[in-house]
Amino acid sequence: MQRAIERKGIPTVSITVARDVTQHCQPPRALFVPFMMGHHFGVPFHRELQQRIILAALDHLVMARRSGEIETIPVTWAQARREGKAIEQAIGQRD
Amino acid sequence: MSIQYLKDAVANNDFEKLIRYLRLHLGDGNEAAGRKEIEKAWVEALKLLLDVPPTDRAFILETLERKDAATLAHLFFYLHFYFVKRSGEWIHDGTL
Amino acid sequence: MTAHSNEAQQMRPGLWETINERYPGSMITKDDLVPLAHLSKPLSEARLTFVSSAGVQPRGTMPFDVAHPIGDYSFRRVPSNSSPAGLEIHQIKYPTNGAHRDLNVIFPIERLQELAVAGVVGGLTPNFFSFIGYQMDPARFERTLAEEIAEAVVAERADAALLCPA
Repeated sequence: MQRAIERKGIPTVSITVARDVTQHCQPPRALFVPFMMGHHFGVPFHRELQQRIILAALDHLVMARRSGEIETIPVTWAQARREGKAIEQAIGQRD
Repeated sequence: MSIQYLKDAVANNDFEKLIRYLRLHLGDGNEAAGRKEIEKAWVEALKLLLDVPPTDRAFILETLERKDAATLAHLFFYLHFYFVKRSGEWIHDGTL
Repeated sequence: MTAHSNEAQQMRPGLWETINERYPGSMITKDDLVPLAHLSKPLSEARLTFVSSAGVQPRGTMPFDVAHPIGDYSFRRVPSNSSPAGLEIHQIKYPTNGAHRDLNVIFPIERLQELAVAGVVGGLTPNFFSFIGYQMDPARFERTLAEEIAEAVVAERADAALLCPA
């Protein structure tokens, strides 16, 4: 899919939580995040983190010089969860 | 499972491969879970008929008569998930 | 994006091996690389699109087919100005617990709208593109769905594409 779009001349970047799967499909650019499946942009209500993942991906889209490069970002699931919990408490989404 | 793998299994009459695929598909990648899911769907269907409630047999016969086999096969898969859902025990949370 | 973060492990290791063992031949493997296309303008002037396999779709559209044993090869257009309340998920093959509380964890439509308003990107394509990541016929997937979405992305005059394989 990603390769098909890139072949049409449109630069692409994907966000992946499965580095091994991505290494097999060899998309032109990917950002690996060590998050739970189905949670590529982080945790609920953590806008800043969601935004940061997108910006890191777009940064890779602009900066990549070699096809197939998988970029990483210094985030951890444990920290994302901690921050997410604090945010939910602050906005009253969690008892 | 690639389509070729399944077609080869059909050509070789390899029932084991085909049923394994079905259990994996219906069990979200877990063969034992898939076996249980198939049984769950049938038990749920059975429970609904124990008191012999009136059912729309004309609809059933007309559907079997008028619809092509592929549509009925597709419906069969839908009915499986329908009864699993109705059983109240839904395992499809996406974890692998 | 520091060097040490290269050590970060994926939470569910061995995913490719697991899926490939259970569904032989369903996984795509490539040994060649596609040459990079490059942005023809600054990001702040570029029109961004988003392509997702998370099964997100506008409420009221034909639900993705999660029952079919060979998969669903169709896609939906999701207007990029949608609000999460107008969208729903039809897919059972990935954990959706987070997405059901805040869709942005898998389909960050509000964050993308904010980036467009802030001028980080020039704009968004009128529609985003959505399908489910369950196809047991990868050749058919590449021949049909992948090409159809690629053409739709071109038709919406996207300058860049963000993808999220759920």
